[in-house]
Amino acid sequence: MAGDLTLAVRDAGGKSVSDAVLYAVPDLAATSVPAPTAPPARALIDQVDKEFVPRVSIVRAGTEVFFPNSDNIRHSIYSFSPAKTFTTKLYSGREAAPVQFDKAGIVVLGCNIHDKMVAWVYVVDTPWFAKSGADGSVTLKGLPPGDYRVTAAAPASNLGAVTTDVHVDAAPAQHSFTLTAP
Amino acid sequence: MRIRRLQTRIILLFVALLALVQVAAFWFVNAANSSNAHAKIEEELNIGQRVFARLLDQNADKLKLSARVLAADFAFREAIATHDTGTIASVLANHGARIGADAMVFVDLDGNVVSDTLRPGGGARRFEYPALLKMNRNDATASMEVLDGRGFQLVAVPVLAPLPIGWVVMGFAVDDAMARDLRTLTELEVTFALETPQSTDKHWRVLASTVGDDEQRALLAGMPQLAGAAQRLVVDISGVDHQALVIPLDDNDNARIVAVLHRSLGGALAAFERLRNTLIVLAVLSIVMSIVGSIAVARSITRPLETLASAAARIEQGDYVEPVRIERSDEIGVLASSLNHMRGSIADREKRILKLAYEDPLTDLANRSRFANELERAIALASSGEFGLTILMMDLDRFKYVNDSLGHGVGDHVLREVSARLQSVVESAECIARLGGDEFAILVKTGLAHDRDCTNTARRIVDALEAPILFEGQPLDVGASIGIARFPDHGRDAQTLVRNADIAMYAAKRNKTGYAVYESHYDTTQQEHLSLLSELRRAVERNELRLYYQPKVSLHSANISAVEALIRWEHPTRGLVSPALFIPFAEQTGYIKLLTRWVLREAMRQCGEWLREGLRLTISVNISARDLMNRDLPEQVAALLTEYCVPPSLLCLEITESGFMEDPAHAQRVLDRLSELGVKLSIDDYGTGYSSLSYVMRLPVQELKIDRSFIAQMASDPEIATIVRSTIDLGHNLNLKVVAEGVEDLAAWNMLRVLGCDDAQGFFMSKPLEARALSAWMRANDARFDCPGAISNTARLRSLR
Repeated sequence: MAGDLTLAVRDAGGKSVSDAVLYAVPDLAATSVPAPTAPPARALIDQVDKEFVPRVSIVRAGTEVFFPNSDNIRHSIYSFSPAKTFTTKLYSGREAAPVQFDKAGIVVLGCNIHDKMVAWVYVVDTPWFAKSGADGSVTLKGLPPGDYRVTAAAPASNLGAVTTDVHVDAAPAQHSFTLTAP
Repeated sequence: MRIRRLQTRIILLFVALLALVQVAAFWFVNAANSSNAHAKIEEELNIGQRVFARLLDQNADKLKLSARVLAADFAFREAIATHDTGTIASVLANHGARIGADAMVFVDLDGNVVSDTLRPGGGARRFEYPALLKMNRNDATASMEVLDGRGFQLVAVPVLAPLPIGWVVMGFAVDDAMARDLRTLTELEVTFALETPQSTDKHWRVLASTVGDDEQRALLAGMPQLAGAAQRLVVDISGVDHQALVIPLDDNDNARIVAVLHRSLGGALAAFERLRNTLIVLAVLSIVMSIVGSIAVARSITRPLETLASAAARIEQGDYVEPVRIERSDEIGVLASSLNHMRGSIADREKRILKLAYEDPLTDLANRSRFANELERAIALASSGEFGLTILMMDLDRFKYVNDSLGHGVGDHVLREVSARLQSVVESAECIARLGGDEFAILVKTGLAHDRDCTNTARRIVDALEAPILFEGQPLDVGASIGIARFPDHGRDAQTLVRNADIAMYAAKRNKTGYAVYESHYDTTQQEHLSLLSELRRAVERNELRLYYQPKVSLHSANISAVEALIRWEHPTRGLVSPALFIPFAEQTGYIKLLTRWVLREAMRQCGEWLREGLRLTISVNISARDLMNRDLPEQVAALLTEYCVPPSLLCLEITESGFMEDPAHAQRVLDRLSELGVKLSIDDYGTGYSSLSYVMRLPVQELKIDRSFIAQMASDPEIATIVRSTIDLGHNLNLKVVAEGVEDLAAWNMLRVLGCDDAQGFFMSKPLEARALSAWMRANDARFDCPGAISNTARLRSLR
């Protein structure tokens, strides 16, 4: 028995925000939701035209992220974020070794060569996460009933994150976030 | 005050003009310079302001750039990102030193100071100038702020990792070194000052400056309350004006930072002052030079003028010897040469004037004035007694006659010839002069008391004039009478000597001796002579003149039908004066015309009276040459005839030959008109002149009077008698009545009767009688002359008839 949680993200003007990061972390103390196990996973953040693609990623902790370089120039990716601090040497193509984001948290990526390049990697300890679609909504499926802390964030749109408690049971639940600029 | 000297005026004019120009030029240049200098200062300040602003901007840009570069530095960001305060502090210090920043502050995203190299430690605090903190790196601005009481140019840039994690604030101290840098580039003194409104006593504080403490204090004392914009002011710094420009650099509630750009006006004006001093020196120099130059010009004009003036003065004083010495080609040279010409001309003219004044133009002998001068001079010299002087006064006999009858041309020729002879005869004379007319004077220096010397001279002259003077082949007989007077015997002064020589000359003429030495008894007659002349003028008015009548007796019938009127002067003191004494002088002075008129009137009056008494007598009146020149004479005669109702035939006018020879044509006209009136005309003194008989024939005369000199001599001189006879025959042949004058004895009477003469006149018959005496005599003798001792003759003649 599992329930679906449909989430919608809007900004202060009521416009739907796409590519927003949404994730639900079961309130282990309040519910009986089993702690999610962490299956090894892989993710990919490409560098195209001196931009990280995608600019915002959400991965389960322990995920290995690959940084292929699609540009014909070289990049040097770094992060001073406490969740994952790393730096790569200048590289091109697929020279860079994958980086494992093993700790939950927000990792901001930059390129040492190109100051404008920025990417956000949300490392979460839950299997229920997604990015909003073009209509600003997404549905998290298969959530065991229980209480969840649901967070919505859209850093690329320069909007502040919002976290809320949501109860999920068999019936499909839904919640709407309104994000405002920090 | 009028300036009379040309030189002074020229100099004053020059200098005044130049000074005016100089002062005006100086004033204009000075004003232009002054405004230029001030404009230049303004411009320098403006440029300084722009340069200053630009420099600050550049500083800020540099700062921003440095900050951005630093903030982008990976290691720096890495260190910052560690959140390790110690590391952050050391990184700030290290990197700050690398770009030369004086202050490095890291501020976190919340605006709290994490680390500050300027003020390490001190616990958590907010950053003072949050406005500087901009999220966008490109928005970073630099501004002047105060940190820890010091001025800084601050810039804050976000540290990106890659999102901002805080700001690194870098500051460059506003210090003296910076001020000096700015001064080097702006060439203006630079002072940064801080205004702290809170503090009451010390309003302004200097942050940095290129000037010393004293000047800073003076500058701050002059600082104004600032408004927002840049402000200009003039500040007095230790007695020197400084122009200052106050530029606000930062304005917030706590403090205000300004930059003061200033420079000394004195410094800026120094070049101008130097230029002005140069101008003054130039002006003074040019005025001095113009004074010197105008003095030179004025002198070049006035010096020659003075020379000319002194030359003119010399000419004025009669010095014609020294010419004006000015060798120039300009107007003054022309004037000088004109003056020289004038000098020559005046000298020539004066010579001519002197010649005219002292020389007789006809004979080139000295004239009367010159003779008088020479005489005075000679007397002065002779007064020493070393030598004597003789003057000879010479008068030509018969010259007047020659002149009158033959014309002035002949007279002049005679005078020239006489002067030539004089000069050849008396070579040793001091002076030979023609005094006028036919009068000559000779001055001779002689020994003392040597009569013979001077008489010899006189004799030589007389001899020289004996030879006839030829005129166009015709001999002219001109004799001379010379009077001699000696200095000192006959006078000690010129006037006396001349007069006495004159007297002697008249004596010589009278006595026909040729020459005569003055003797004192001559004097009285001469004196008489002269005074008579002066008294004659009053004689008519005083009615002192009388007419006497001498009968003309017919030699044929002894009847008396005519008388000759003869003038007599009944002088109140002298008694009767002979006409010979005054008539010649009356002729010379022209007074004769008045005498003639008086005589005519009196004769006509008498004639008319006699007519009324029944006595019909023709009256003859003597007419002089001058009377014949009077064209009104016929009218005057006609008027008198009418007035006294006298028939014209009772008037006979007697004229001498010389009387009509002077201007024969004119005389002929007058005589013709008189003849037309019916007046008889008679030629008087016939035979003494040179008149041509053929000419006499043409005159309308009815009578010929033979001169008394012929009658007197005819008895003793058969030749004269022949002349008398020929004359009588001639007269008769010309159908003229012939009258003999000066018949003084019976012999003459009889001889004239024999010769056929018509009438006789003379003392033998009757002396001239007064009218009353004559008429009485006439009545008594039945108007006949009862010739004593000739009765038989008369009777015989009567019987013959």
